[in-house]
Amino acid sequence: MAEFQLVIIGAGLSGLAAGIRSARFGQKTLIVEQHTLPGGLNSYYRRQGFLLETGLHAMTNFAPRSEKHAPLNRLFRQLKLSRKSFITREQFGSEIIFPDRSLKFSNDLELLCTEIASSFPACIDSFQALVQEVERYDPFVEASWKSTRQFLQERLSDPLLIDMLLLPLMVYGNAEEHDMDLGQFAIMFRALFLEGFFRPEHTIRELLSMLTSQYEKFEGALRFKAPVTKILRAGGRVAGIRLANGEEITADAVLSTIGIPGTARISGWPLDQKKYIGRMSFMETITMVPHASLDSPRCSQTILFYNHNNVLSYRRPQAPIDASWGVICFPDNFEGLPIDTDVPLQVRITNAANYELWKQAGSSQYRQLKEEAGRKSAEAAGKIIGNYRQDVVYHDSFTPMTIERYTSKLEGAVYGSPIKIKSGATPWENLFIAGTDQGYLGIVGAMLSGVTIVNQHLLG
Amino acid sequence: MTRDEIKDVILEIIEDIDEDAEFDGLDADKPLRDQLDLDSMDFLDIVMELRKRYQLQIPEEEYPELATLNSCVNYLEPKLKEA
Ligand SMILES: Cc1cc2nc3c(=O)[nH]c(=O)nc-3n(C[C@H](O)[C@H](O)[C@H](O)COP(=O)(O)OP(=O)(O)OC[C@H]3O[C@@H](n4cnc5c(N)ncnc54)[C@H](O)[C@@H]3O)c2cc1C
Repeated sequence: MAEFQLVIIGAGLSGLAAGIRSARFGQKTLIVEQHTLPGGLNSYYRRQGFLLETGLHAMTNFAPRSEKHAPLNRLFRQLKLSRKSFITREQFGSEIIFPDRSLKFSNDLELLCTEIASSFPACIDSFQALVQEVERYDPFVEASWKSTRQFLQERLSDPLLIDMLLLPLMVYGNAEEHDMDLGQFAIMFRALFLEGFFRPEHTIRELLSMLTSQYEKFEGALRFKAPVTKILRAGGRVAGIRLANGEEITADAVLSTIGIPGTARISGWPLDQKKYIGRMSFMETITMVPHASLDSPRCSQTILFYNHNNVLSYRRPQAPIDASWGVICFPDNFEGLPIDTDVPLQVRITNAANYELWKQAGSSQYRQLKEEAGRKSAEAAGKIIGNYRQDVVYHDSFTPMTIERYTSKLEGAVYGSPIKIKSGATPWENLFIAGTDQGYLGIVGAMLSGVTIVNQHLLG
Repeated sequence: MTRDEIKDVILEIIEDIDEDAEFDGLDADKPLRDQLDLDSMDFLDIVMELRKRYQLQIPEEEYPELATLNSCVNYLEPKLKEA
C-alpha cells in the first residue's frame, strides 16, 4: 500500500482547497510545498513593519450569503468552512478609463448598464442581451476554443466599448495575447461584472491560515521546504514523488498544481512545452503614499483600469514594461475597512511586462531597470490619479523574474498556459492537474479548481 | 438503526453540509434538493459522508434513491440495519 492516497504538489490556493476536499472524507493526504509559506501566487511577506500581500488586489466572485448557488458560497460549503463567519468587504466602485470615455462599475450591474447607456447609447440593448447570454452560457463543459473578440464584434458593434470591457477581464485572468477563449471570457465576465470585487476582512494571511487549519483539522499532512523534483512512475501509472533531498514518497494518485510545463518537466510528460508557456507577464508595484498626496476623487475608488490609448494592446510588450495601460488598485478602499489617515494608503499598479528583457538584464542591470520601470509606471498612473511619486514612503515591485522564482510559473506567466486542460487529465490515469492551467483563475477560481478536480477524479 | 435514527442522521449530515439549512416545514416525500436548495456538489457530500461514517458504497446509478427524506430512509434501512 502507498504511504498516501493523494499527494498534492503545491500549497497555493488550488492545492490547499484540493487538500481539504480530499482529507475531509478521510483520505490520507499530503501537500508538499517548495516554500516556507502557503499561498503561491497569493501569499504575503513583511517589510519595514508592513505586512504586504504578494498579489491580492481583490477577490472576485462576490456573492451575499443568501445566494446559495453562487461559486463563492458553494466553495465554502465544499470546504466545510463557515460562510456565516467569513466577513466580506465589498468594493466602493471601480472604473475603466480610456482617453475619450470611461465606465464605472460596482457589484451592482445596474451601474455599468447606466454608464453604457449614457456613453454608448447605441449599444445598451445589445449589452443587456449579452449579459443574458453570458448568464446562460455554461463555461464548464468541454468546448473547443472560440474567439471572444469575434463573439463581441457580432454583438456589440462599437470597437471602443469592446476594448473597454475586455481590459479588466483580460488583465485579471487571460493567459492568451490579444484574444481570449469564450469560456474564459464567460467565467471572467461573471466573476467581475455580474458578481464583483470584495476583500476578506483581514489579509490573505488569515485566509490562508483558515485554509491550512481546516486542512489540518481533517488530519491532512503539509510539508514546507519540500520541492518536488520528480514524479515517479511504475508501469503505466504514477507511483509517487521524489523530493529535492532524495526522499521518495509513494502515493495512489498525484495532483499537481504547478502548471502544465512544470508538471511535464518533472514527470516526463512528452509535450511541446513552448506551446504551454504563456507570454503574458506583469510587473506589480506596491507603494505606500500619505493620504494627503492622493487627493484626486479617483483615489477613493477601488480599482482603476486605465488605457492611455483607445485600442487595447493586450500582449507581451516590446519594452520591459508597457505603462500605457494597466491597473491601479487601492486595496484599502473597501466598505467597512477601518480608515486610519495616519497610516499611508497602499497603491498597487500592474503593467504588462516582457519576460525576456527582464531575464537578459542580468543582475547588474536588473535594479536599474526596475527603478526605470517603476518611474514609468508611476508617471503613467499619475496622469490618472495625480502625481504622487515625490511623496512615496515605501516602494517595492515584482517583475516576471520574481514571479518565476517564487512560483515556478515559467517565464513569469501569472495566468499560466494559454492552452488549458479543463478535465485535469494527463497521460497517466492517476496524475491530474488543478489550478491555473486547468482553467479557473484568481483566488476563488483556483480553489474551485482544486475542489472540482478532487470531486471528479479523486474521491476514490 | 431504526427509521427514525436514520432520518436524524440524514438531517444531521445535511445540517453539517449547509449551515443555513432550514428544516421547518420539510416534506419527507418531496425532493430534498428543491426544498433545501441543494446542488449536485452538496449531494455528493451526503454520499461521501455516508461512506465515511458507515463505509457505505453508494453507486452513482443509485443516487436517485436519495431524492426525498423518505426514499433515503427506505434505501438505507436494510443497509444500516446493523449500524
Ligand atoms: C501579482 C499578482 C496579483 C494577483 N492578484 C490577484 C487578485 O487580486 N485577486 C485574485 O483573485 N487573484 C489574483 N492573482 C491570481 C491568483 O493569485 C492565482 O490565480 C491563484 O493564486 C493561483 O493559484 P494556484 O494554486 O493555481 O497556483 P500557485 O499559486 O502558483 O500555486 C502553486 C504552488 O506550487 C508550488 N510549487 C511549484 N513548483 C513546486 C515544486 N516543484 N515542488 C513543490 N511545490 C512547488 C509553488 O511554490 C506554489 O505555492 C494574482 C496573481 C499575481 C501574481
